[in-house]
Amino acid sequence: MVRLHFTHPIHLIIGLTLWSLWFVAVYSGLSVACAVAPPSPEAGALTGLNAALGGVSLITAVGLVALAWGSCQVAKQHQGRQRFHATVSAWLYLFSAFGVVFAGMPIISVPPCL
Amino acid sequence: MKSVNQEAIEHDPQQLHEDLHTIWGNPKGLRSLTIVNHTTLGLRFMVTGMVFFLIGGILAMLVRTQLAMPDQNFMSPDIYNQVTTMHGTVMMFLFAIPMLEGLAIYLIPKMIGARDLVCPRLTSLGYFCYLFGGIILTSSLIIEMAPSSGWFMYTPLSSKEFAPDLGSDFWLLGITFVEISAVSAGVELVVSILRTRTQGMALHKMPLFAWYILAMALMIVVGFPPLILGSVLLELERAVGMPFFQIAGGGDPILWQHLFWLFGHPEVYIIFLPAAGIVSTLIPVFAGRPIVGYGWVVAAIAIMGFISFGLWVHHMFTVGIPQLAQAFFSAASMLVAVPTAIQVFVWLATLWLGKPKMKLPMLWVMGFLIIFVCGGLTGVMLALVPFNWQVHDTHFVVAHMHYVLVGGMFFPLIAGLYYWLPLFSGRMPSESLGRWGFWLTFLGFNGTFLIMHWTGLLGMPRRVYTYEAGSGWEIYNLLSSVSSFVLSAGIAMVLLDIALHFRFGKPAKQNPWNADTLEWANSMPPSAYNFVSLPTVETRHPLWDDPNLPHTMAKGMHGLAVASHGRREMWGTDPITGKVREIIHLPGNSWWPLFAAAALAVVCISLLTRVYALAGIFVVIAGVFLLRWSWENGAHPNAAPDAGVKPGDPPLHSRTMDGPGLWAMAVFLIANGSFFLSYLFGWFYLWTVSPEWQMPDTPPLSLLITGIAGGAVLAGCVVVEKLVRGLRQQRDAGLRASLYLAAALGALQVGLAGWALWRADLSPTQTTHDAVMLVGLVYALFHGGLAVILTVLQGMRVGYGYVGAHAPFEPAVVALLWRYNVVTFWLLVGALAILPRVIGG
Repeated sequence: MVRLHFTHPIHLIIGLTLWSLWFVAVYSGLSVACAVAPPSPEAGALTGLNAALGGVSLITAVGLVALAWGSCQVAKQHQGRQRFHATVSAWLYLFSAFGVVFAGMPIISVPPCL
Repeated sequence: MKSVNQEAIEHDPQQLHEDLHTIWGNPKGLRSLTIVNHTTLGLRFMVTGMVFFLIGGILAMLVRTQLAMPDQNFMSPDIYNQVTTMHGTVMMFLFAIPMLEGLAIYLIPKMIGARDLVCPRLTSLGYFCYLFGGIILTSSLIIEMAPSSGWFMYTPLSSKEFAPDLGSDFWLLGITFVEISAVSAGVELVVSILRTRTQGMALHKMPLFAWYILAMALMIVVGFPPLILGSVLLELERAVGMPFFQIAGGGDPILWQHLFWLFGHPEVYIIFLPAAGIVSTLIPVFAGRPIVGYGWVVAAIAIMGFISFGLWVHHMFTVGIPQLAQAFFSAASMLVAVPTAIQVFVWLATLWLGKPKMKLPMLWVMGFLIIFVCGGLTGVMLALVPFNWQVHDTHFVVAHMHYVLVGGMFFPLIAGLYYWLPLFSGRMPSESLGRWGFWLTFLGFNGTFLIMHWTGLLGMPRRVYTYEAGSGWEIYNLLSSVSSFVLSAGIAMVLLDIALHFRFGKPAKQNPWNADTLEWANSMPPSAYNFVSLPTVETRHPLWDDPNLPHTMAKGMHGLAVASHGRREMWGTDPITGKVREIIHLPGNSWWPLFAAAALAVVCISLLTRVYALAGIFVVIAGVFLLRWSWENGAHPNAAPDAGVKPGDPPLHSRTMDGPGLWAMAVFLIANGSFFLSYLFGWFYLWTVSPEWQMPDTPPLSLLITGIAGGAVLAGCVVVEKLVRGLRQQRDAGLRASLYLAAALGALQVGLAGWALWRADLSPTQTTHDAVMLVGLVYALFHGGLAVILTVLQGMRVGYGYVGAHAPFEPAVVALLWRYNVVTFWLLVGALAILPRVIGG
């Protein structure tokens, strides 16, 4: 394997691995920030912590959508095994992006450390 | 595709069968304990699992008898706690996981066209660890000293202060012992599925059941180590007083909950996935058409495998974590419903588009669909934080859990057992007795647990041994208890049917359900070697596309139809394309797995009885057995001293650089890495969250000494990598000296790390900080020592001629351990010695 071409089955797990890393990052980041320097409860959801978590989530989601699009394009160029891997990888990237958006939505409205 | 060894030569089938039987056949009498064959061991796993299921079932009936009426004292509170704890423990750890692993061990090689699993002796070790661990754990019931803190053993309820007798120790040691079995099976199932599929079976052509088992096995590999770590820490706390979970010393009882549920929630999906694999196998067969959306199912399996690790905190919504964190886990808990729904719709679509035949196995599949969907819906309800708070620790949760686990695992399991029964025995079950069994089970189950939802909504807490008359819960409990006896009658009828069919069942015809997968190409019951010859398979439905395949396979018209070399052989194929890469030769029957498991059992009992010297001695003995076992590999006279293969066939795996042992080591290191990351999580969690955590003013670990130790292990790794590179190029000059040099560098690392530990003058029973640090350093010392021993043994094997340019495989396996040691040791230095100096307390 020279590079991780989208037809390689490793892409079946990259999207969800990125989702997992994002999930661990926002959960542990939130926990550490709340333990070390919790923002004022009066600030509600308008805190730097929410902004940072939201920013990380947005970047992750956009990256995953881009990977989904890339997989989808490559899938069209192949048949058989390679098409199968690229197509399923595209679905999984897309689902991972949805997972980031869906699980990250509370960042918009929920105060971080209450 | 160019196929290997595929000339359509008709061999003398009877002679081939006899030759293969001589090589693969099982011994009788006492020597049957040495059997390593997957068919026999898979059946042993399943039969043992059913025995534990009966024990767990009797415990459940005791619980329902106690709760049938208010104010009963059929059992004392303490005995009731023991019974409920053991019911959950036995069902989860001694029945569900081993039973499904047993089924996978039995079926996977047959489905993918292999002759055995890739590490047969590991299968045997896993079985005996399971058996001995299960016996040790259940023996606690007989002496009325069973664990009583609930199947999740929350601290401090399970700690020395509130559980001073041996119950918790039985749980911690027994379960850890059993988990060796689970992880062993997980490792070899992963490697077997990836590397031993028959020729041409590319990843996207393998049976869906194999996808499910691959995901399950990887989840076991990653998911079980956090609990193993938690059990080790809690046992250390109970045995020698290291305060990992005690606030006063700097620990935190919530850490246990994190470690337990990091394992515990994926566990639910570890149980569900193989069961769903059974459903995805059966529905197309009885619908008479391929599954709708194979790719969607693969995607759903992958999603479940990952997302299920992001749900663990939904078991902890009431412990006081920030609302935003709860919202993350609430959302993730809802997210996991998506892949579940994908599968349900795929199954329904397949049934809709096919012509389903409602045979006995399908009855159980339909029962599964109804019950599991209901359990999934209450799961979505429980994912909502406010609702979760309301029903937390009530019978509603008990009802939900049983809907998911019994509906999601037990019903598909029985469907699968009925489906594969003709393969096990060569006989068909009784339709009428089976239908009676199904309906009694289905009605009894819903009568027991549907009603329990209401009992919970009315506020009845779980784990109370009785309740007062007039609480409003009487009629619901009585109905649940009566129904539970109906459920038991149904299960008894199923077991009776299965038992009777061995004697009275009609003989089954070949492929009795007209299935599409390769396991039905076996004889019924199967031979020890599964297939006389190994076919090329380039379709998802080999038996539908070529109904004559079992016949031609049995006549030896496909690959590896040779036995004259005296080796147990099967294909080693490319994990993606299924192209043949090498011939994997497997070890034969062996006493070493039994001996090693027996020694580990003595360790377990010695730790229970606090005879630590004996435990230490038997740790060494177990180590010697395991190393002796590893000695009989590769070019050893008991393995494959002669590398000869037929012209045109690929080489033996031990004569290449990429055999299954390399993959097994890599997967094992993933499990080990999960353990290590859980340890780092514990260190940082306590450092950040524990209210009484005390970071010493002066970090006790010497940066200089640990740094030099890190340099030594890095240098050793470089030496090993260099010699492996040489072997890859067929150069083995100075191999032995290089191995001994690497071992010396490893010994230097161990010595320096030990010195750093000694100089640190830790007080592990006084502060959690010192206790956690000690565990980390002992971990590093153990791994460093293991690398030294294995490298020295490799040097000796070079001397015996078992390793060299002609047999270059084994040093590459040991090199993986060296790489792992470098990474983990430097991470430890960073976490324990550098970061405290940078950040401070």
